[in-house]
Amino acid sequence: MSDLPGKVAATTPTQTPLLDVRDLEVRYSGVPAVKGVSFHVDRGETVGLIGPNGAGKSSTVLALAGAVRASSGSATLDGVELTGHSPEEVVRLGLSLVPEGRNMFDGLTVTENLRLGAVARRSEVPLTAAIAEVVELFPILGEFRDRPAGLLSGGQQQQLAIARTLLAAPRMLILDEPSLGLSPTAVDVVFDALGRIRDAGTSVLVVEQRAEFTIAFCDRTHVLHDGRLTLALTPGAAHDADLLTKAYFGS
Amino acid sequence: MHFGQSLIDALSLGALYALVALGIGLVFGVMRLANFAHGEIITGAAYALIFTWHLGPVVSVFVSLLVGVVLAILMELLVFRRLRTTTPATLLIASFGLSFLLQRVYEALFGTNVRTAPVASGLAGTVTVLGLRLQILSLVTIALTAVLLLAVHYFLTRTNLGLQVRAASTDFRTARLLGVRADRVIMLTFGISGGLAAVVAFVMTVQTGAVGPTFGVPLTVLALVGAVIGGIDRVIGSLVGGFLMGFASSFFSSWLPEGIVRFRDAFVFLLVILVLLVKPAGLLAGSGTVERT
Amino acid sequence: MSELKTPATGLTVGGRDLGRRRGRSGSSARLATMWTLIGPALLVYLGTVVASQIGGPVAVQGAYALVSLVAAVGLQIFTGTSGVLSFGHIAFTAVGAWAYGLLTIDPTLKKALLPDLFSFLADVHAPWPVALAVATTVGGFLAFAVAPFLMRLNGLQAGIATFGLLMVVGQVLTYWSSIGPRSGQAMVGVPADLPLERLVLVAIGVIIVSWVYQHARTARLLRATREDLTAAPGSGINVTIHRVIAFTISGAVCGLGGGLWAATNRVVQSSHFGVGMTFTIIAILVLGGTRSLWGAVLGTLVWSALDSLLVYLQGGVTLGDYVVSIPEGARPIILGATLIVALMVRPDGLTGGRELTWPVQRWRRRG
Ligand SMILES: Nc1ncnc2c1ncn2[C@@H]1O[C@H](COP(=O)(O)OP(=O)(O)OP(=O)(O)O)[C@@H](O)[C@H]1O
Ligand SMILES: [Mg+2]
Repeated sequence: MSDLPGKVAATTPTQTPLLDVRDLEVRYSGVPAVKGVSFHVDRGETVGLIGPNGAGKSSTVLALAGAVRASSGSATLDGVELTGHSPEEVVRLGLSLVPEGRNMFDGLTVTENLRLGAVARRSEVPLTAAIAEVVELFPILGEFRDRPAGLLSGGQQQQLAIARTLLAAPRMLILDEPSLGLSPTAVDVVFDALGRIRDAGTSVLVVEQRAEFTIAFCDRTHVLHDGRLTLALTPGAAHDADLLTKAYFGS
Repeated sequence: MHFGQSLIDALSLGALYALVALGIGLVFGVMRLANFAHGEIITGAAYALIFTWHLGPVVSVFVSLLVGVVLAILMELLVFRRLRTTTPATLLIASFGLSFLLQRVYEALFGTNVRTAPVASGLAGTVTVLGLRLQILSLVTIALTAVLLLAVHYFLTRTNLGLQVRAASTDFRTARLLGVRADRVIMLTFGISGGLAAVVAFVMTVQTGAVGPTFGVPLTVLALVGAVIGGIDRVIGSLVGGFLMGFASSFFSSWLPEGIVRFRDAFVFLLVILVLLVKPAGLLAGSGTVERT
Repeated sequence: MSELKTPATGLTVGGRDLGRRRGRSGSSARLATMWTLIGPALLVYLGTVVASQIGGPVAVQGAYALVSLVAAVGLQIFTGTSGVLSFGHIAFTAVGAWAYGLLTIDPTLKKALLPDLFSFLADVHAPWPVALAVATTVGGFLAFAVAPFLMRLNGLQAGIATFGLLMVVGQVLTYWSSIGPRSGQAMVGVPADLPLERLVLVAIGVIIVSWVYQHARTARLLRATREDLTAAPGSGINVTIHRVIAFTISGAVCGLGGGLWAATNRVVQSSHFGVGMTFTIIAILVLGGTRSLWGAVLGTLVWSALDSLLVYLQGGVTLGDYVVSIPEGARPIILGATLIVALMVRPDGLTGGRELTWPVQRWRRRG
């Protein structure tokens, strides 16, 4: 990342990073969507990934989660290779993705959704305690615990999507556009919770469209453009119009 | 024929079809596969009953169940697992081919003629209840179906694995991202459907006492069709559709006039095409259609 | 193994369009286009010549292969163009065979064999070209009559409904003795009017019909809807109308195939037109590639060759000191397994759904 201009977050990892992505490539029927992406996420760090539509953000995180195949490159979680594993194995290795769109199991109740999240639970903490914890984070879920997920509002569904993923007790939590289609208040609720998840020590990677907001929220934000990382920004850049323009429109 | 008697008969045939449709519908949920070859699981389990009946009912029923479950799981492992990423149309063709293939295998192994054994012939009699002469087998079928439906319902709603099956049926991709093991869930579902097929094989074999290479075909075709018109997207849709199919067939058989009764299936299928026209996704389809995105 | 194995979504058969190739000019383009017709026709012709030269059982198998070819091309016209699955096309073949049999069997024989026949059917008699024309018409008409009902369905529903059609037609032909033999019996005495040299001409005619259809505007529009049904309404294409057209033509061709079958087999029975024959033509298309005429032709060739080889092996073959033979009953098992393996290793068929390319010089231009 030495060739990056301006306010580079020069994080030379002293220890091995939690998530280490190197030269990741994704192709769809031969057509490259992610063209050699490298970045890392340290323990306890919150990293953002922004970029225009079609930049390859979702493809990147889906590849990390094992939901699409990486055509080359590597991604390690605490030294363990993630590529080549199925999504269900990746979850067990400690990386969980809240995918784009809310992907509710409409007919299943809130409680059932939460129980599903615990299918690959990696923690010794009893499930009931863990559920109580996420309900504290998202109180609305406690209120509607027996309601079918399909009947929740968009914001409530996003909260449920995050909550159930947390029940796997991931070390690395990835969210793909958690603010997509949400009202400003709902976005506040979601990011408020994300802040608390981060404070509790979970490493977070957030994919977003809203550059300014994300840069301010994350320790470090990468800009993805046409399948390549072009910039890395620290929160200070959130108010630097020049850099923001670059982030939106590419260099 | 007395109306009450034919009602019980229709209920029992409906129950039997519902069991077949349930087995097909469960697999469809997780795989998007409408399995034509379900009938060959029934046939295999039925052959097992015929060939092992002399070892005593307990052993024979156990072997038959085992054959049903193992056949279903083998189908998944050897054929359908490799086709999982293809379209439902391709899967349907594959299962159609597999059905044909297995029938020929049965022919080669056991000949084209039926094999016979007096399987549970005690159940073939009738009892008189409140002046109605009822077939014991009809009553047993209804009871067996009720128990199995309750068991499947309990499994799907109360157990962790059942929850995973339901989630995988709704959205496989998201379920996997949460850690639901695809292979395990699908194999389990095939296993259950194989077990259900074996139960159906038992009832059918008691009824006919004779099993040939295409033993399971008519039942499966009608139940599959029933599942589709009921709404194969949801377990309840398959179940109700299958039941209606059996119920309607039985009623048509008892009450259609002589000379027309041989066209029974033609009537049933015309009805089916009409239903599909009005409700392409099935009578009880969920909000999403079968072809989901 | 890491790819998400979600069951796929669309029910149409995905892939590349085989239609018009743009970006080419002049005579070379025309030559390449004509080759997609001439190549398959030539292959069919040469294959038939070879079969008839060998004679004996091979010539007989060649005749049945030509009949299968016509039915497969018929099914391809619909399924290949629309992407909609049909298990029902053998119903059209069945009525075609019925029509052909009723028209060509000698009336005296017919009255003795089929006593319950409507009197106009009992008296009618026609030469083979007329009978073939009627078989074609009957198949096309039945398809046209049911099309408005079936053509609004997709994927699984279409598969089930067309399967229903097969069952209904099968049952009617089995039991309705006013239009055929009594329950489940056979019509015999169909004259042998269609030797190989006539059959092959009819088959080539069918290939031409299919080719002309594939190049018509209606087929191009229908192919455009094959990949993405949801986009079709927005594009102003009336899918149903174009499907009805395809279905009717394809039903007519399958009806013709039925006529050929009656003339070749000379015994016609409703049980012939069931799941087994349906399996065969679907397998042929899957093997060759559903989305091209070339697929139907190549599929028939390979399938028939395999089938003949298996028949041959059943009889036992001496190779030096060894006699190689396969047991009775292994043939259909191997054929069944072939379909499944083909679906696994080449889901788009041997041709990949492409038409035959001009072998001398390959244009790889895309545009
Ligand atoms: N399943 C797929 N098959 C083929 N191409 C795909 C597929 N998914 C994504 N693509 C293509 O890959 C590129 C990157 O898509 P991706 O979804 O990763 O972008 P994104 O940055 O997440 O965009 P958005 O902000 O709109 O969510 C796009 O050009 C897209 O069209
Ligand atoms: Mg995205």
